[in-house]
Amino acid sequence: MSETKQDRVYCPVCLARFKFAPGWKAGSVVICPICGQRLVLRQTPEGWVGDRPEKGTEREIRERVEEYAKLKGYVFNDMKEEVIQGLLGKRKRFGDFYCPCRMQHVPEYQCPCKPTRGGDVDRDGKCYCGFFWKKG
Amino acid sequence: MVYALSTCPYCKRTKRFLDEHKIHYDHVDVDMLDDDKADEALEKVEKLTGRQSFPVVVIGPEVIVGHDEERLRKALKI
Repeated sequence: MSETKQDRVYCPVCLARFKFAPGWKAGSVVICPICGQRLVLRQTPEGWVGDRPEKGTEREIRERVEEYAKLKGYVFNDMKEEVIQGLLGKRKRFGDFYCPCRMQHVPEYQCPCKPTRGGDVDRDGKCYCGFFWKKG
Repeated sequence: MVYALSTCPYCKRTKRFLDEHKIHYDHVDVDMLDDDKADEALEKVEKLTGRQSFPVVVIGPEVIVGHDEERLRKALKI
């Protein structure tokens, strides 16, 4: 019996690789189960990658944060729109949707940032920017 | 003195609060400075607060980190 290797998809937002599900093919539109980004699958010699179909648009970040909150069961509060405006400001001035309350513009602080994905909300009740909140 | 980030919603709320109360203040958006100036400002913020969190409001000896209207009122006696 030959050994089968689990295919994975590289997400350019959270920089992680998630499991390739049966039935997916090139051009499939999927949601990254780690960060909520919508991706279009593409096969490369190095493996599957997800492309950001609406890279840098307001629609992209709005959809991503909604999907992420849904995936994790987090909620927003009355700061939501102001934080989104901050994210749009980061995109405009610094190239991508980095945490609006941080000074650093590095991939690990792409929203939802690495500390958030690492459990900050579950531990502290909210993320660094007070955007994602634990329910209840 | 207010140290802020141009994209930070809490910094905006703090500035709005001060404006609404007609408080005159100096402020700097650290993320909008040239690299050298930004490093200088970040060093100051770290020295004042021990971290790089915004906004930072300096009122005399008082250093307020984050948007905190109660502390602002107290420090400004308003």
